[in-house]
Amino acid sequence: MKGIGTIALREVLPSVFAGMEQETTVAQSQVWLRNLELTRGCRVLVSAESGTGKSSLVSFLYGRRSDYMGAIHFDGRDVRSFSVGEWCSLRTFSLALLPQELSLFPELTAMENVVIKNRLTSHRSASWIAGAFEALGIADKAHVAAGRMSVGQQQRVAIIRALCQPFDFLLFDEPVSHLDSRNNSVVAELVEREATACGAGVIVTSVGNHLDMDYNQIIKL
Amino acid sequence: MVWRLLRRNISVWQTAGYALANFVGLSIVLCALKFYCDVRSGEQGEDPYVTRDYIVISKKVSGIGGLLGADNGFSPDEISEIAGQPWSRRVGEFTSADFNVSASLDMGGRGMSTSLFLESVPDEFFEITPSGWSFDPESDNAVPIIISKDYLTLYNYGYAASAGVPQISEGVVGMVPIRLSVSGNGKQKWLKARVVGFSSRLNTIAVPDRFMDWANSQFGEGKPMNPGRLIIETVSPGNPKIEDFLKSHGYEAAGDKGASGKAAYFLSVSTAVVAGIGAVICLLAFGILMLSVWLLLQKNRDKLHSLMLLGYTPASVSRYYFIIVGAVNFVVLVGAVLVMLSVSVLWRAPLDALGMSGASPLAAIGTGVAVMVAVTAINFVAITSKVKGSFAG
Repeated sequence: MKGIGTIALREVLPSVFAGMEQETTVAQSQVWLRNLELTRGCRVLVSAESGTGKSSLVSFLYGRRSDYMGAIHFDGRDVRSFSVGEWCSLRTFSLALLPQELSLFPELTAMENVVIKNRLTSHRSASWIAGAFEALGIADKAHVAAGRMSVGQQQRVAIIRALCQPFDFLLFDEPVSHLDSRNNSVVAELVEREATACGAGVIVTSVGNHLDMDYNQIIKL
Repeated sequence: MVWRLLRRNISVWQTAGYALANFVGLSIVLCALKFYCDVRSGEQGEDPYVTRDYIVISKKVSGIGGLLGADNGFSPDEISEIAGQPWSRRVGEFTSADFNVSASLDMGGRGMSTSLFLESVPDEFFEITPSGWSFDPESDNAVPIIISKDYLTLYNYGYAASAGVPQISEGVVGMVPIRLSVSGNGKQKWLKARVVGFSSRLNTIAVPDRFMDWANSQFGEGKPMNPGRLIIETVSPGNPKIEDFLKSHGYEAAGDKGASGKAAYFLSVSTAVVAGIGAVICLLAFGILMLSVWLLLQKNRDKLHSLMLLGYTPASVSRYYFIIVGAVNFVVLVGAVLVMLSVSVLWRAPLDALGMSGASPLAAIGTGVAVMVAVTAINFVAITSKVKGSFAG
């Protein structure tokens, strides 16, 4: 499968919101039940309050869930028609995800958690990974089991892992919820640099603490 | 690394339990199969003790019919009816002599002469093929004769013991020169003859088919005769249907040949029971394996899901489980085959004593391989579907 140029949302509404079309959650949303196009190279902040379906949106885009009405198109193709194999390929070469729950393997070390992804893609060199650990201030934790790290440290490991693949779109679900402002800007800089390098779009969600980037579109969920 | 991740929840005890149970079950199945094959291989041996059975049948002689000289033979229709029965493999006819025979022999100075009867049956119904079992009217060679072992036993333990004459062995009988006087159709001829073998299957004095054909054409009066006795090779010895058939047609089976037939029937039934028990154990073991694979995948569900989120394909994740299941199944198969081979040595000697040469273990090994391939294939399908299930989240 080729990379993704445009992600289009066509009147998407999570199934759980069915029947709530008149309520403010849906009625005032700039995403639900709207037509929305996100193109490669964009910097989009999806700003949301809790319970408005932020993580659902990310899951829909990443093919983890399909309990929504309406349609999502990648370059005109309905993602519901994608096979398991196509999703696997997209997740390896086109779509990078930082899930809110991080999904690290607690029994593996920080480094192993990153390498397990990089082995699949062979995208980053060992020195790039080491440099990223260094830049995010967790170089000394590289060989500590992920389960024994603080949430903030785990968040940084998961960010490095998400960057260990080629991508057309980066989906960051609350990437800096547990980071201080210094680490926030370090992450933002790293993400900006890598996304620019491959001309990718960045879609960031946030309930308050935004990733400190220059967004060209801020959407209220 | 993925391996290390997924290995964590594998229960050694569950795996060992499965392996042990399946090993026991498969071993029993293979041993039963090998034993059955070994015993069946007696078919190719000289004395098919239990697997192939022969019965000799004749019609009941009723008082009046016998006196009136009614034909008590089997008509061609009756023969083909018998041949068409599902339990009959081959039917051979006893051809009786249409001429008079008397034999005289000289044993250590004592001359003996007796009138005699001769019959012939097709060669393939003998359990022995003695050397010199042929006849050529042109040559001067002795006519070979096979007599029932029972006759020798009767002589040795019935006559000789009471008459105070020495008992004789099979070898000695073979050396006694016999002179046959064959007459009929206005001709008479003296022929040399020799006992070349003893049959425990055929209760008669048998000569080669060729001799009988020749003698009947020379000395017979040409009256057509239906065979009075038939020898039937049965497919399933001891099959109760045979008895029913004979009873309903008023046929009589000679001797108590049913005994070995019943042994064969019992053997095939008991082998089937043992193999069945083994199969049930295998099935239960298979259940254990499926259950533990299922539990393992259930326990690893989150991990599998996380791997899928990273872009790992179901196939690449399943591969690790394939390796475990494949390796365990392979070890079980090899173990069971080894057990089968070493246990079969135990019954080697008793079977040898019965004259059974033993079968190649390939059939049993082939079955084992087929069973394990099938089990492994089902395991793989189950794993694949379960892993794919984790993909959806």
